[in-house]
This record gives sequence, structure tokens and C-alpha cells, in this order.
Amino acid sequence: MKLTLEARAGSLQPYLLLVPALSILVGFLLFPLIWNIYISMHNVSLTTILGEWKYVGFKNFSNLLSDPDFHMSLQVSLLFVGGSVALQFFVGMVLAVVLNQQIWGSNAFRALFIIPWTVSAVITGFSFKFIFSDSFGVLNYGLEQMGLNPVAWLSDPGVVVWTLVIANMWHGTPFTVIFLTAGLFSISPVVYEAARIDGATKIKSFFYITLPLLKPFIIINLILITMWSVNFFDLILVMTNGGPLFASTTSSLYMYRQAFEFGLLSKGAAAGFLLIGMNLVLAYSYIRLFRRKERTVETRQM
Amino acid sequence: MIPIEKTLIYSVIAVYLFITLAPLLWVLSTSFKANEEAISFPPKLLPDAPTLDNYLFVLTDPKLVTSLFNSLLVSIGGTGLSVAVSALGAYAFARFEFKGKNLLMSTILGLFMIPVVINIIPLYIMLANVGLLNSLLALVLTFQILIIPLNIFLLKNYFETIPKELEEAALIDGCSKLRALWHIIVPMSIPGFLIAAILSFRFSWNEFVLPIVLSNKPDVMVFQVALYQFISLYRIDWGYLTAGINIALIPVVVLMLISQKRMIRGLTLGAVRG
Repeated sequence: MKLTLEARAGSLQPYLLLVPALSILVGFLLFPLIWNIYISMHNVSLTTILGEWKYVGFKNFSNLLSDPDFHMSLQVSLLFVGGSVALQFFVGMVLAVVLNQQIWGSNAFRALFIIPWTVSAVITGFSFKFIFSDSFGVLNYGLEQMGLNPVAWLSDPGVVVWTLVIANMWHGTPFTVIFLTAGLFSISPVVYEAARIDGATKIKSFFYITLPLLKPFIIINLILITMWSVNFFDLILVMTNGGPLFASTTSSLYMYRQAFEFGLLSKGAAAGFLLIGMNLVLAYSYIRLFRRKERTVETRQM
Repeated sequence: MIPIEKTLIYSVIAVYLFITLAPLLWVLSTSFKANEEAISFPPKLLPDAPTLDNYLFVLTDPKLVTSLFNSLLVSIGGTGLSVAVSALGAYAFARFEFKGKNLLMSTILGLFMIPVVINIIPLYIMLANVGLLNSLLALVLTFQILIIPLNIFLLKNYFETIPKELEEAALIDGCSKLRALWHIIVPMSIPGFLIAAILSFRFSWNEFVLPIVLSNKPDVMVFQVALYQFISLYRIDWGYLTAGINIALIPVVVLMLISQKRMIRGLTLGAVRG
């Protein structure tokens, strides 16, 4: 048995195999992440980047927290993330379940539904900017034909966030469809069969079988789409550049604009640090929320 | 299935199919219109005089052609590097027992959750300091953080479906570990490698945030950034732009349509074993 694979446990080989991947991840992901803290406490701008950095303590953070534009960006983020996640999850779930029924052509439909996810954010942004255009957009033309009033999709500060949510839904929903489909595939049909014999309706088996069994997928899916929405800004950059004024500048776009539009790299780094915090809090609260639900279900069953 | 149910299911599908395809078809139709016609109001569903001029413009504009070439180079380089590096790591996870294995695996998957956006500022400063700013190499390297975790996960699951006995036989015959990987695992995992490669290509080809910050000089610009710059420099010529959009779409859409069934199966594999 000397030559079997397990017998070599403890050798250096597996670590050596992991060195290339890990060194790239540490160098370009972990190190910058930690270094970000250092940058946020200094005074680095596009002009002083190669020169000397001055230590400023928490000044960048206090600047940030007293900046009304940053407050605005938090509100915009809340609407954008909340709207995106709710819409993508709901629509994605409906489509995944519908496509999982025994219907003709479900594979072909699935393939077509995935297309928007393969389209880059920049291209999604351009396409929707074109369609939603206030002056020559095809959508407003359609509304007019139906006797409705045209909407200033991209220039009305109260509307623009929802326009972005719609574009983001188009782009992001396929991921939820794929991910939840993978989850649905992992549930054995035998379970449904048993439930059917016991007289459960389809709707009942969805709520009492599908949802609980899908839960691990749902949690990861929600965490991923939430984080992606929090950090997503290429689409917004292309469609509105955060405007009109700051009406569609989410916190991640705020970070980008501070750093690369105004050159304030350290202030951007501080905003990035707060973004990480936001991500962690959101991920943690999803996990907590689902754990608690589990507990209440258990007690009810007892 | 009762008829009402069926009607309901197909109406849901029809509605979302329209939502999915209408924007793409609209952009496709526009790309065959002259620039003035593209923004004429009321809009016309189909071009009056279909023309290929927009495509000709994009494919002959030196800046855009360079950027297309750069995109291909970076995407192929990024895909190759990431699949190779991930395969080694995935092999370690699939075939060895070692200290800290589970911790390492969950750390790698956890890293996947760190949004790259947060890293752009430190990455920019870092690369500026080592003189790699505005180089294609910087893109190939930084793109890795987007794809390595996912590839390790996919390939590890794939390797685990291959019976160990095959390798053990080779090892008994005096084959080294790495040779066993190369001669037995790799040929048997071609489908797994294909999914990993296609996903990597999609990520690299579509990435915009890293390149717009890390390499936005004309000679190292990628196509996504070039399209973006193209509109901010001149007034938007929607005819040209929609043609550019379609050119950018072709490679990824084709690859994804080919691979979607395998991809879902790949994810399911991970789920069952996960």
C-alpha cells in the first residue's frame, strides 16, 4: 500500500501544487485588501502616488462621513441593491422553477435566458442607455403609442435608480436562474413523487419541499447577488455616470469617482473600506436570518 | 399537467423571452442602420437601407482594431494561465490529504466573495510602483483573482469524478505524480477544462473595471474600454456603437450557448459533493 495516494499524506507535494495559485491570490487579492487600510490612513492622490505619503490618521474617514454626497450615495445604494436583489431573486426563482417543469424545449429556453449574463456590464449599459433614451429611445416611443406619457428614464432623479435596477435585472437574473436550476437538479424527483402520493398539491410541495431543500443554494445566491449589486458600478458608469448630479451614484461608484475622477485615492480607499464592511454585515445578516428561520421551524415541529 | 398550468408556464416563458431578446435584437437591427437613421424618431423596427458600413468602420478603425487584438491576447493569456494554475491547485485538493486542506479550500472560496472593485485603488498604486501600470501583463495577472477560485472549485469537482484506481495503477508502474496528472487526469478531464476555460474567457473578455483603471492607454486598451472611450470622446454614433457591441458579443455568446448544459451540470456536481 506504500504507493497509494493517501500513503503520501504529509508530504510537501500538495502545498507545492498550490503555490502558484495561492501566490497570485495573496499578491493581487489579499495583500491589496490589507494594504487598503494603510492607504486609507495616508494622504495619497493621483499626483503624490509615487512621492511621499503623509500619515493623516482617520481624517479620510471623517471627511467621508461628513460628505453629503456620500450620504446620498448610501441612499442610492440602498435602493439599487434592494431593488436589484428583490427583482433578480424573485424573477430568477420563478424562471428556474418554471423551466424545471416537464415542458417542451426547456433546455433551449434555458440557453436563451442565459445570454444576458454573458453580455458585459458595459454593453448592457450601452444597450439600455439607447433603449431608455429620453429623446429617441424605443421604450418611450412604445409608451407613446400606447397612449401613455413618456418617462425621463435617465434624467429624472427620482426615476433613474429604477431604470438602473431594470437594466441590472436583465443582466443579473440569468445567474440566479442557473444557480437555482443547479439547486433544483440536486433534489431527487423521488421526494416529489412521495409527496404527490401523500396528496400534496404542487404549491404545497414547493413551499414544504423545494424551498427548504433549496435553502443552501438560496443563501449563497442571495449573498452573491447582494455583494455584486453593492459593488457593481460599470453599468451605472456607462448609463448615467452617476448623474443627474449624484442621483444615481451608488457607494461603489462614489468610491471610483473620488479616486479616479477627483484623484483622491485615499478618500476612495476609505470608502472602499466601508464597502467591505457593508458586504460583511449583509452576508452575516443573511446567514443569521436563515439560521433563525430554521430554528423557528424546528420549534414549531416540536 | 393541466392546461391552465401549461398556459401559465408558457406565458411566463414567453414574457421573459421577450424581455431577454428584445434589447439584443433592437441593438442588432440598429447596427445595420446608418448613424442618422439609428436615432431617428419615430424609430423604425428594421433598417430602411441595411448597411454594413458600421461594421466596416469598427473593423478598420486602428484604435478599435488594436483593442480587439489586445482583448483577444489578454483573454487567451488569462484563460491559459488561470486554467493551468487552477488545475495544479485543484489536483492537490482532489487527490491529497494534507493539513489545513478544508481551511484553505474555504479561504479560496471566501476570496471569491471579495469584490475586485474594493481592490482597484491598492492595485493601481501597487502596479504604479512596480511599473506595470498600462501593460497587458498587469491585466492577465489581475484577471486571475476573478477566475482562479471558481476554476479551482470546478476542476476539483471534476477531478474527483475520475476513479483513483487509474492513477494508482500508473503510480505503481513508476509514473511520477505530475506525469500521472498530465497523462491520465488531464485527458480524462477535457470537458471540465472546457467549462473552466470558457468561463475564464467570458470573465476576461468582459472585464471592464480593472482595465479602465489599470490600462487605459491607447496601445494597451481592451475592447470594452475602447468602446467606452469611443463614446466619451466623440458624440455617440449609435450605428458604430451598436456594431461594436455586436462584435464584442459574438465570441462570448457563442461559447456560452455551446456550453450552458455542461455548465449547469458542472455546478450541480459541485453541489452534490459540496
